[in-house]
Amino acid sequence: MNYKANIGVFLCQCGNKIKSSIDLEIVKESFEKDSRISHCEILPYPCQTPGMDMITGALAEKKLNRLIVAGCESRLMLKKFENAFAALELRRGQIDIVNLRGHVATVSDLTPADKAAKSIKLINGAIAEMQTLVPTGQSYAQIDGPIAILGCGMAGISAARELSRKKMNFFLVLDTAKPDRMVQKLHHYYPGERSYERRFRDMVREVFDSEYGTILSPFRLVGISGVTGDYTLTLQSEPDETIVKYKAGAIIASLDAEMGSPGPQYGHDGLSVMIQPEMENLISGQGAPEGQIVFWVNDYETGQSEFAQLSAKSAWKMACHIRECSPVSQAIILYHEQMQVPLTAAERAINRKHGILWVAYDGNLRPTIQDGLVTFCNLTDHVERDLPWDYMVLSPVRHLNGKALDTAKILGLVHQEQKFLTGHHARVRPEMVGREETYLAGSARYPCDLLEALSQGQRAGSKTTEMLRKSANGELMLPRIVCVVDPDKCIGCGQCQELCDCGGIGVEEGPGGGLPRVVDPMVCTGGGTCAAACPYHALVLQNNSNDQREARVAALAGQLTPDETLAIGCVWGGLPAADNAGKMGLKYDPRVHIMGVNCIGQIDPCVMARAFVEGASGLILVGCNPEACHHSYGLDHAWSRVNVVKRLLTLCGFSRDRIALAHSDLNHPEEFVRTVESFNRSVAMIGPIERSKENVDKLNAIYNVIKFNTRIRHLLSANLRRPKEKDYRGDQQHALEYDRDFTAVIKEEFLQHRLLTVLENEKRPLNLQDLVASLNENEIRIADCLWSLVSEGTISMSHENRQAVYHF
Amino acid sequence: MKITFKINDKTVEARTGWTVLETAQHYGIDIPTLCHHESVTPSGACRLCMVELKEGNWSKLVASCIYPVKEGITIYTETERVSNVRRWVFEMLLSTCPASAKIRQMAANYGVASTRFPISNPDNKCMVCGLCSRVCEEVVGLSAISVVDRGVHKKIGAPFLRPTDVCVACGCCVSVCPTGAMQSFFDQVRGEPSMRLTQLTRQSAQEVKTS
Repeated sequence: MNYKANIGVFLCQCGNKIKSSIDLEIVKESFEKDSRISHCEILPYPCQTPGMDMITGALAEKKLNRLIVAGCESRLMLKKFENAFAALELRRGQIDIVNLRGHVATVSDLTPADKAAKSIKLINGAIAEMQTLVPTGQSYAQIDGPIAILGCGMAGISAARELSRKKMNFFLVLDTAKPDRMVQKLHHYYPGERSYERRFRDMVREVFDSEYGTILSPFRLVGISGVTGDYTLTLQSEPDETIVKYKAGAIIASLDAEMGSPGPQYGHDGLSVMIQPEMENLISGQGAPEGQIVFWVNDYETGQSEFAQLSAKSAWKMACHIRECSPVSQAIILYHEQMQVPLTAAERAINRKHGILWVAYDGNLRPTIQDGLVTFCNLTDHVERDLPWDYMVLSPVRHLNGKALDTAKILGLVHQEQKFLTGHHARVRPEMVGREETYLAGSARYPCDLLEALSQGQRAGSKTTEMLRKSANGELMLPRIVCVVDPDKCIGCGQCQELCDCGGIGVEEGPGGGLPRVVDPMVCTGGGTCAAACPYHALVLQNNSNDQREARVAALAGQLTPDETLAIGCVWGGLPAADNAGKMGLKYDPRVHIMGVNCIGQIDPCVMARAFVEGASGLILVGCNPEACHHSYGLDHAWSRVNVVKRLLTLCGFSRDRIALAHSDLNHPEEFVRTVESFNRSVAMIGPIERSKENVDKLNAIYNVIKFNTRIRHLLSANLRRPKEKDYRGDQQHALEYDRDFTAVIKEEFLQHRLLTVLENEKRPLNLQDLVASLNENEIRIADCLWSLVSEGTISMSHENRQAVYHF
Repeated sequence: MKITFKINDKTVEARTGWTVLETAQHYGIDIPTLCHHESVTPSGACRLCMVELKEGNWSKLVASCIYPVKEGITIYTETERVSNVRRWVFEMLLSTCPASAKIRQMAANYGVASTRFPISNPDNKCMVCGLCSRVCEEVVGLSAISVVDRGVHKKIGAPFLRPTDVCVACGCCVSVCPTGAMQSFFDQVRGEPSMRLTQLTRQSAQEVKTS
């Protein structure tokens, strides 16, 4: 593989837009002398076909394997370059675009030569990143083996039929092997869908008779391991509890929500006052009941107003059926005034034919249920009316529990307790993610009617088929920017798995039990907060590693003059805001130097510390607005990390305002301008960091502690907000206590680190007074620290001239 | 394969696959454009890049951004015929999107300050070139926004003109929009951040609203 970097830099004139304001000749001259660069060229438009042809020529001639284009917005142009040069083995990660137009050319009134100097700094950062890149080859997903359909929802049958028709092998894990029981379930989960019975029966029969399918019954899922294409499902047989293992290539989860009783306050007894599925059962058992049947759509009262229409529709369907079968019965639907009647014009005609009464009640007054009567407040005249009933049918309370929830938990689909399983996936650009490897269908995803559930199932079936076909043709490319675990460094603490929102980190079974050591590249979104949280740097984001970011930050910070600052923007918030500011021609302080990352959450705190070591006097991280973070909690995590660096800066006597986290919306570039200007002002007020030996030592100590001290890193990761948590809280209830404890740990570890560094550098036994002099710290704290180091055996103590001296 | 032809009497050399606009820009000849962006395939929507093509004894006007180069042709980028067409285009644009500062400025360069066509909406900035929807489809790989309706009713919108959860709020459409219309329209596509993330949050937002 092309490990040795062979970098080409192409400078874009962008017609006249860059050429007129940046002296590109100076930039070119500087890079022509640079031994790290194999090729440097100015092109009028590198992004258009003529420019592309020139680049292709240079790539082939000089065998370039890294490409840096200094032009405009990376997020717009990157894909075009990647597509154009994919045949030349240049892939994602090997091409970088520096936005000179938006970040340098239009945003300040500097002279062309000064702008050229700023451009050189930004491009140098990109070069450093490219040099550190260790590109991986393009790998393809291998998916073979049957498709598993888990859960026993109605959508599963639909998915199975789709697979059977497309001649794909599958197996269904069901709790019953009897088609009749499946049809019975239809009434249970989807009341009112009686007219579908015959079609559903045909569907079930087609699936059960299919030559491509296997029915595993009665089994339930107890465990799952492996990655997309190679899953191992652990199933438990229901009667004798034997465990069997099955291999599956892909999984379709088909789960249905439960329908529960709204409780005794509604008089629910299952006999005369019942919920809709019970009524459905009654109809299938005894036929349509006679008398006055009142359907009360009480979803507003049970707090599920969003499902009121769904309940009303099934109530109406049941009412129609009752009127058809038993014309002597009366059907009345009682509904909340805020609900709109979910009937189409054609359905209204049917409604008139059947004479079903829709009665709205005043929502401010809750209807009261009595024996044989329901009292409600009439909407028009506000008079309390009594409605007699022989059967009262209430809306069910929809929730997840039982088997569906168990299965969802095993599959890692549960993201919030007591909520439905709506497809929750970090919202990033489609090409950045693999595909959702678990296709989820059915009403457990979000309550829906039968038609929707069946079409979800069918969609899941056809998508899975498409994925398997692609894999068989060798076209299913794995995303390139994903996490990988280095098993030599991983100790299996599981922090990453808890933090991961995409569910890509799985457990590998080994002799010592299950360790979270395997990443499913099809699921990983490349957010990278897990990698930044690893106490041992065992998780690496391929093609976009922490080392690369560190190298870039180091290169950029190293070139900054004392009054200049560094800004890191995420591609969803800060960077596009800066791009748009440039596009709109907004002017701001040119001393700020911007670089981009995919998510602020992927910045390891050691990268932040490195910026100060190398020469930055201020660092601002500009992310999205917290609630809009595309990688769920990347921004929350960044907040915690910034805070640790702030604590360390304060410990060393530097101002904590030198590092800041800011939020920016890409559509409001003027706010971004205010952000960086205000930050620059506050850093200017603090002034640059004096690069004395003592300060440099302290900054180095900060960097080393935050990078290598596993205790601090562990503590930091343990207190990051988990995807299932509602807000950031730390692991202690009391915010101040948590803060004090954490600061104490940092203080302790930091002092220990500095002590050890001094002892190591001096290479001779030192007494307390020497240490106090060289560290400039409180004597008692140093004595305490020395004592604990001696007692844990890290250093040893001996006596010289009746004084205790310490050495390794 | 090399193709030689002339732009404004200057002999230029192009290769197969280049368009007239790309060749002209490569040789530093400026042609005004609005709906053209390098990241997507050209569509020839705005007709500003019209140039006069002479081949033998006859000439015609072509949209340079989608016209492939051809051996032996002669292109004129600033003839009277061409600027006449551009002035017409600017007048029509001024009637469609009078609020766009960029278009007003470009029109002023061609001496067009007002329009003879009726102005239906003086606050409109959008010229319905469809660049945003092309970027959404080709660069982002989604179709959160598209051109809806036809003819004079054509407009840019998300499905049902409502915030859509297909939108990932990457803002590519805002960055490419030539008239600045997308900036104000963007919030109507992506919706509120709380609406945007997942349906789950939407559900809880609704709960708050109803309780």
